[in-house]
Amino acid sequence: MTNQALDIPALAEEYDQKSPQDILKLALDSFDNIAISFSGAEDVVLVDMATKISNNVKVFSLDTGRLHPETYRFIEKVRDHYKIDIELMSPEADAVEKLVKEKGLYSFLKDGHQECCSVRKIAPLRRKLTTLDAWVTGQRKDQSPGTRTQVPVVQADNAFSTAEKTLTKFNPLSNWTSAQVWEYIRMFDVPFNELHEQGFISIGCEPCTRPVVPNQHEREGRWWWEEATQKECGLHSSNLKK
Amino acid sequence: MEPALLIKPNFCYKALLNMNITFVKKILADGSPCRKCGDVTDKLETNDQMKFIDQILVADESDPSSSGMQLAQSLSVDRAPFFVVEQDNGEKTVYTVYLKFVKEVLNQTTDAKEEAKDILDSNPDLDFI
Repeated sequence: MTNQALDIPALAEEYDQKSPQDILKLALDSFDNIAISFSGAEDVVLVDMATKISNNVKVFSLDTGRLHPETYRFIEKVRDHYKIDIELMSPEADAVEKLVKEKGLYSFLKDGHQECCSVRKIAPLRRKLTTLDAWVTGQRKDQSPGTRTQVPVVQADNAFSTAEKTLTKFNPLSNWTSAQVWEYIRMFDVPFNELHEQGFISIGCEPCTRPVVPNQHEREGRWWWEEATQKECGLHSSNLKK
Repeated sequence: MEPALLIKPNFCYKALLNMNITFVKKILADGSPCRKCGDVTDKLETNDQMKFIDQILVADESDPSSSGMQLAQSLSVDRAPFFVVEQDNGEKTVYTVYLKFVKEVLNQTTDAKEEAKDILDSNPDLDFI
């Protein structure tokens, strides 16, 4: 069964309280042309789960060119451990050269991270997603309470769908907490990025990621110089009548 | 200096007459304006696109009964600003990314880099991809 027309709102409701494995199975059963986005961090649990469901798992990562050496080593470790291909998506060389020429290597410290991320991450992501019918992310609701963005377990991806094609996005870990993810990693002896042993929780590019101390939210380890209000686009869900 | 947005030569404005476009911007719960909504409003005005907007609604986070909040709820939209394009036949399409709206509805040429930035601006959850 592939690429069937899914009733996404109904599935989002039906699967909201189901396990990540159930959601992942739904995704992999429903689409042939589907891939997992792997960030090189604790979302490795998705790779572990998926390889237990299917022997034809497609995985891609965004190589921004500024990841930690530990993350590059980890990607290779995951590739070897699960014996899978991991497609690395790189930014367009011309776009990076233009940005660096005009604004230097650390423009994000002054202008905010969006411009650099759009060149190094979003554009390659978009390029990859145009080739897919569906994708799987490790996004969780607890990652960024500040943005108050809802993370349904399955959704039509309005950001990357085109007039010609609706892209479906699965977020199997949406309702899991960081603690649940780590419980899974320990229980199933899943390999993890060595940066986690150095106090990093959320892992992105090297200049924009730092370790956090106990009781700091993982979000505080990313773009800490920016005001939280500048990241706010959500409509506060508690204000929307159910 | 070239304009930021160019009208494609084969574009027919008549198509826009058959649709109703609503722009929804929000006010934060503390009464302050939404930065992104301000940015998009500025772009609509600078690029002479406000003429295509049939109505502007406000989603006031402190007032669930505000017209914008009600529309967001009815369409399951969880972020702002956003556009709702309603065709003659009643079919509605929601756009939460300004440049996507510009490209697909107003049929205007956009810059790929700006589009990517706009996607991230409108979808901060992508930070964790």
